[in-house]
Amino acid sequence: METSKRMSTNSIKLLAGNSHPELAQNIARTLGLRLSNIGVYQYSNQETSVTIGESIRDEDVYIIQTGTGEQEINDFLMELLIIIHACRTASARRITAVIPNFPYARQDKKDKSRAPITAKLVAQMLETAGCDHVITMDLHASQIQGFFHIPVDNLYAEPSVLKYIQHKTDIGNAILVSPDAGGAKRVASLADKLDLNFALIHKERQKANEVSRMVLVGDVTGKSCLLIDDMADTCGTLVKASDTLLEHGAKEVLAIVTHGIFSGSAEQKLKNSKLSRIVCTNTVPVDLDVNILDQIDISPTLAEAIRRLHNGESVSYLFTHAAI
Amino acid sequence: MNNIVVFAGSSHLDLVNKICENLGIERSQVKLGKFSNGETSISIEESVREKDVYVIQSGCGHVNDNFMELLILINACKTADASRVTAVMPYFSYSRQPDIPYTAKGAPLISKPKEKYTFESHPGTPIPQSMLTVEKPMSPNSSRLDAASSASSSGPQSLQSPTPLRPVELRPTSSTSSRIPMIPNGKAEHPSEQEQDSNADALFNASNSSYKLWVAQAGTLIANLLTTSGADHVITMDLHDSQFQGFFDIPVDNLYCKPITQAYIQHHIPNYQDCVVVSPDAGGAKRAAKIADVLELSFAMIHKERRSQLLKGPPGATLTSGGGVPVSTKPLIESLDIRTSLSNNGNNKYVNTTMLVGDVRNKECIIVDDLVDTSYTITRAAKLLKDQGATKIYALITHGIFSGDALNRIGQSVIDKIIVTNSIPQDETIKVLGADRVEVLDVSNIFAEAIRRIHNGESISILFEHGW
Repeated sequence: METSKRMSTNSIKLLAGNSHPELAQNIARTLGLRLSNIGVYQYSNQETSVTIGESIRDEDVYIIQTGTGEQEINDFLMELLIIIHACRTASARRITAVIPNFPYARQDKKDKSRAPITAKLVAQMLETAGCDHVITMDLHASQIQGFFHIPVDNLYAEPSVLKYIQHKTDIGNAILVSPDAGGAKRVASLADKLDLNFALIHKERQKANEVSRMVLVGDVTGKSCLLIDDMADTCGTLVKASDTLLEHGAKEVLAIVTHGIFSGSAEQKLKNSKLSRIVCTNTVPVDLDVNILDQIDISPTLAEAIRRLHNGESVSYLFTHAAI
Repeated sequence: MNNIVVFAGSSHLDLVNKICENLGIERSQVKLGKFSNGETSISIEESVREKDVYVIQSGCGHVNDNFMELLILINACKTADASRVTAVMPYFSYSRQPDIPYTAKGAPLISKPKEKYTFESHPGTPIPQSMLTVEKPMSPNSSRLDAASSASSSGPQSLQSPTPLRPVELRPTSSTSSRIPMIPNGKAEHPSEQEQDSNADALFNASNSSYKLWVAQAGTLIANLLTTSGADHVITMDLHDSQFQGFFDIPVDNLYCKPITQAYIQHHIPNYQDCVVVSPDAGGAKRAAKIADVLELSFAMIHKERRSQLLKGPPGATLTSGGGVPVSTKPLIESLDIRTSLSNNGNNKYVNTTMLVGDVRNKECIIVDDLVDTSYTITRAAKLLKDQGATKIYALITHGIFSGDALNRIGQSVIDKIIVTNSIPQDETIKVLGADRVEVLDVSNIFAEAIRRIHNGESISILFEHGW
């Protein structure tokens, strides 16, 4: 690109939808920028309307929108698509969608006849809208990156989680636990870095959002158990896993997840649970009245990724190091 | 009907049942729902392999949810090896693209249900001298100004929107940051009618930037998303802009409601030969004129325009002829100076004029429009027509969205009868307005016939001319 010949500054423009204004603010503050002047509204007929209030011609545009909202997840997705499309028609040089929690990430396979692979559809929709690059975090399955024809940077919350465990938990007596077989790899990698043991719970799932029998593999007697997962949705798994662990003689159980979606009856389940702490990052806004909740701010990681991407530097440093 | 599969989205089951009944087939089984985190979930219960699939979803209700559901359904059929997937969208969402966020014609962002509506245009239509010897004083300006000032002072918390509107989100800006002067006098434009969020006003009325604020146009995006999801064909009805068809790379069949409305006029409006067909705005003039032509009725049009300056000329000089503007020192809109000055606090002078082109005195009027959303346009038009001496007012609409407090407005308006199709469910309309005032025309036959013909590979052009 003949960047040097151009008159324009080609600076970062941060745009945000309505899904997570707080996170967008944090990212903007970390980068020392302000959020661009756009208005995202809903008409009374419930169509989405996006108003662009400043020039983005030839700029490096980052749109921050996460997948959240029991009522509004589709609205937020449409907002994102319309903003991307608007930037494309307004001659932005490059458009990057920053989607900390990728919506529909769990509908990623044809697990029964005629099941929709909606994650792939969302990927295609983002490309159709005119997206050049995607930044996301802890994809439910990292293979989702393969659904795209554009670069996807799948960041990890792991370095931030690592820091949290080292500083805010009883690490001497801790054991990491994966609540299902699918998460074993994630937990094993964390256990290696912390030099901790890990256990695994095997569950037999019958329906989505429903958990049945649980089998513990490993010894947790007298230990402080850290349940690690990529997301906590209805929290059925976490609560059952913590019960299983306590039955097997665990001293206490903490849960650490990346995406704290907490939908449905999650709040009630957590209140009635024997978990001593639930920790999540702020990839999605958490509106939960539970006193055992603790949050990790991952906006520095996202901000640093944006900065590195804009300057054409490598992002891989962030895979192993938490940004400050 | 071999190899045909018809799926219904969750927006309009009733219409799909009627279409299937007409086609003589069973609606195919699909489970629609949501996961607890809000993601749309679908499950197709029967095989679609090598089948000709039609997915019917209207762009109403929770628009984005319904649209996503449609896309996911199409995509699932496509990945399940359907030979062709046709999206049937009786009302096509996002087909109307207002270029400013709130206008009289477009949808306002926030509007509060009210006990009384004035249906006045702002400024109102000057009455031609040929009709009235004394110019009618405009309705109380002062009260409207009060309404305007209270509207500007009331915060968002005092707004009771009829539909759950998301709080308006504005990018925070420093005091020196650019704010955009786009809709000059947006507040003064419809003072009593629209309560606007003060933040939104700030965005649209600030005047310290040279950047022209603009609204993203989602039309091409929607078309591309449908193609991306795997739709091979689109069937819709009375697209707001016929150019919309050009946004697609796949065939689009835009069906017309005209034969049905025409038949209704002929069979259900007594003495329709004496009626006047009225278009409530210039954009719909062609549509209305076509009906007037076919039925050999006279035609009138309401024209609304924004001028950057006040017209000069004697009152009524330009109104009935539509010819040139005679020059005079006397301002045309004399009684409006209060509001004019209100709207002139910026540098630009913008004035809205609404005028009726045509004669409706002692006539029954049929307002023809393709869609009614907030009903601002149509209720104002009705009021204007009544003021100009119309005896009875029918409103003939293809797509009745009736968002916000539209039904209450229509309920209190002078519209005597509203005729609307079931491209969007109209149960609520009948409930609010009563069965006497509402007539719902059934379009399922048109869609069924189109599906039948497309499935059999026949021409559908006959549908453009004849109603069923």
